[in-house]
Amino acid sequence: MTSVTLYVLAAAVVFGAGVFGVLTAAHLLRKLLALNMIGSAVFVLMLAVSGRPGGTTDPVAQALVLTGIVIAVASTAFALALAIRIHHDSGRVTLSAPEDDDDR
Amino acid sequence: MNVELAIDALIAVGFASLAVRVVTGRRLFADIVTFVVFGLVVSLAWARLGSPDLALAEAAIGAGLTGALMLVAYRTLARGGWTPTPTEGRRSTVAVAIGVLSATAVAAIGVAAVGAAGEGSAPDSAGAAALEALDGTGLGNPVTAVLLLFRNLDTLLEMFVLLVVLLGTWAVATPLRTGVRARVPRDTPLVAALVGIVVPTAVLVAAHLLLAGTDRPGGAFQGGTVLAAAGVVLVLTGAIRARSRSGLRLRIALIAGVATFVAIGAGAPLFGAEPMELPGTWAVYLIEVAMMASIATTLLLLFTRSRGVGATEADAGAEGGR
Repeated sequence: MTSVTLYVLAAAVVFGAGVFGVLTAAHLLRKLLALNMIGSAVFVLMLAVSGRPGGTTDPVAQALVLTGIVIAVASTAFALALAIRIHHDSGRVTLSAPEDDDDR
Repeated sequence: MNVELAIDALIAVGFASLAVRVVTGRRLFADIVTFVVFGLVVSLAWARLGSPDLALAEAAIGAGLTGALMLVAYRTLARGGWTPTPTEGRRSTVAVAIGVLSATAVAAIGVAAVGAAGEGSAPDSAGAAALEALDGTGLGNPVTAVLLLFRNLDTLLEMFVLLVVLLGTWAVATPLRTGVRARVPRDTPLVAALVGIVVPTAVLVAAHLLLAGTDRPGGAFQGGTVLAAAGVVLVLTGAIRARSRSGLRLRIALIAGVATFVAIGAGAPLFGAEPMELPGTWAVYLIEVAMMASIATTLLLLFTRSRGVGATEADAGAEGGR
């Protein structure tokens, strides 16, 4: 097993954990944590599987992931502003209907 | 088993188990902190995967800023009447099954892709082409070359995305105009020392990252984030605070990145280059400086969720231009 395979497998675990988190978490902040983890998993995967021309890591893949990281933090900031607004207007920190609140 | 592989195994197992911990944890605050640690371990993975640029970005943005945003949102919710309660155990067989299934699918795709790519990638790949063309650019860092020369439209649009996100945040931000406010008393000796040491160091590091970025790891994004982090420290310690309107200098800083980028890109034919083809290394430096100012300002305002920031006391204006 090579190092790259190790990172691919770890990224797969993170991806699965993120999917589980998005599905089960009710709290909006928890959902965002899980979504961010899915993002990180995809980024690690992209870089791990990209080729290594001339022994260096593919610069195009690195640039794509760098762009992705910045966009991810920006959209997280926007989503957090939305979550805070939802709480401010409705007093709730989840998206489910009031009667489903104690579902999970 | 050699040492390198052992280190990689440690990092891989480390961030995978931290991720599982984040989604199975029961106390949200602790899980946010775990998420920050997760980000730091991932940044080690970047370094091991041969990408120090991404390691710097992940440590500053992925772990640092995202964590700070999450913690401030947590506190804002708590102050707005939400009581943090431990999440009850989440048992959902379906969710576990879907999680395991997606992990397996991702692993299969990933392992297959690694097998297909092998150690040396196809000679006609974009990455190989970028490395080949690097010699003629005067830049030493291939990532900076891709971001600013070969695929600079992506980077320009990314700057626009940052602006759109900021406008969106302004639109939905809670009426709480003051945004994030300091809780730490300013006259505490430790706080003054922290601000006195951390902020100048951060500015220095940001400038270094920017200048080094053309030849070595670093660049406008990393530098801008470190600068924004210095601003976050200033906000949290009460040296500067959110304002309900933005001054002219702040607005200029916000659009400096896209404005400079568009101006040089559109004016490139004057220097005998194609539109968006940067006419020289000076253009790269100019755009990176402007982008760093815009990135730092945008990220800081996303943190405070306000239209502006200003000095808390009468020494106003000192930080107004950030």
